[in-house]
Amino acid sequence: MKKYLKNKYFWVVLILFIGTLILINNTSSERTNISLLEKLIRDAYTPLQSGVVEFKDRFGSFNAYFSSKQLLQQELDSLKEQNQELTMENQLLREDKMEVRRLRSLLGFQDISLQKYEMVAARVIARSPNNWYRNIVIDKGSDSGIEKDMAVISPVGLVGRVASVSRDSAHIDLITHREIAVGAIVQENRETQGIVEGLGNSNLLRMVNIPYYSTIKPGNNIITSGLSESYPKGIDIGIVKEVELQPDGILLSALVEPAVSFDKLEEVLVVIHYYPEALSPEVNDVE
Amino acid sequence: MRYFVLGLLPFMAIFLQSTFFSTYSINDALPDLVLIFVVFFAFLNGERKGAGYGFLCGLFEDLYLGRFIGVSALSKALTGYIIGRLQVRFFNENLLVGLMIVFMGTILNSLFMFILGWSVFSVFNLDTSIISGAIYQSIYNVILAVPIYIWYYNSTQKGVLSLTGER
Repeated sequence: MKKYLKNKYFWVVLILFIGTLILINNTSSERTNISLLEKLIRDAYTPLQSGVVEFKDRFGSFNAYFSSKQLLQQELDSLKEQNQELTMENQLLREDKMEVRRLRSLLGFQDISLQKYEMVAARVIARSPNNWYRNIVIDKGSDSGIEKDMAVISPVGLVGRVASVSRDSAHIDLITHREIAVGAIVQENRETQGIVEGLGNSNLLRMVNIPYYSTIKPGNNIITSGLSESYPKGIDIGIVKEVELQPDGILLSALVEPAVSFDKLEEVLVVIHYYPEALSPEVNDVE
Repeated sequence: MRYFVLGLLPFMAIFLQSTFFSTYSINDALPDLVLIFVVFFAFLNGERKGAGYGFLCGLFEDLYLGRFIGVSALSKALTGYIIGRLQVRFFNENLLVGLMIVFMGTILNSLFMFILGWSVFSVFNLDTSIISGAIYQSIYNVILAVPIYIWYYNSTQKGVLSLTGER
């Protein structure tokens, strides 16, 4: 033992070991900001990762380019983008339509709220490099107004939340992440509220805190309830696969398959602002 | 030049893992190129250098990920140390030995990651997917290690990674 205590390497290793454990502990919880070193490392990768996506895009349109169909390709890209926006808008309109229909039945209810979104489109340029944490990296960061905890969606549904931001990129935690919890409701019956959590080790989600008398059943569509601060109301989360009674016998839980296919995500929308807005006079006239 | 290449390897490894290999997983398991380089370095340079290189590479990976900074650093340092201890027991010019230590290194690293992440900080769920993930990752690493070991071993003998090229 004395031999070890006299060895300077023993003390260096011991101090490094304890220091690292403290570092792990300090970075295990959510941080408001990442360090300058982390930002520098991420920003060094962003142009390279964006270059790979750019290369893939160009390679994809290689044939079109050489057969003098470049304009057609541009038009196709623009239409694809427009289609994504319209799909997103359609999803929101469907939700609004159901809300208006429901409110029509409530005579005298005037204060209808619709939400308005301000979004930034971003490309997925990288994914988690290891098996332990699954996330994605997008090519927009604080320079584009993106901040930590903003909701990230796609035309198909909810993707996740901004985990950390550097100047030109942002790391996004997917909704399958263990630390993410989203307030949710069943779109069909509107009565069932619960919390959707990531399971961490699979691509499935679990909806918990569902009252035992709920009519929730497989095939139901789960959407955001708007009760979570970060997530706007009415965004598709997924479809119920299984419903089971929790061990306490009072609550139900449901296994939910996410609406978004995370492996195929190429573009996402970051919700910069969303705010409820009073229904415009034109809509009141319709009433 | 040697130090520059040794620093460039984990940088390029993370770049390839986050762009190319992240879309080609085997049963949801991704390869760990950083670990492959740590294992080869430790096997050819011994336990002390192996542990140091493993720590620095792991720390770099942790800083890129931004969560639980130090988990990969410690697990790769411990893996580097153990693999480095095997240096005197095996002939390092044999490709099969190189592949065997990559398999062993991947299992060890997964074990250390799990112990640090779960036992100390309750980061991970304990289930069979972690075990199967480690096995699939070991197989993936062994496949990728074939060309990497041939290049790495030759470079340490008479290329950019040889000690004579050290500045």
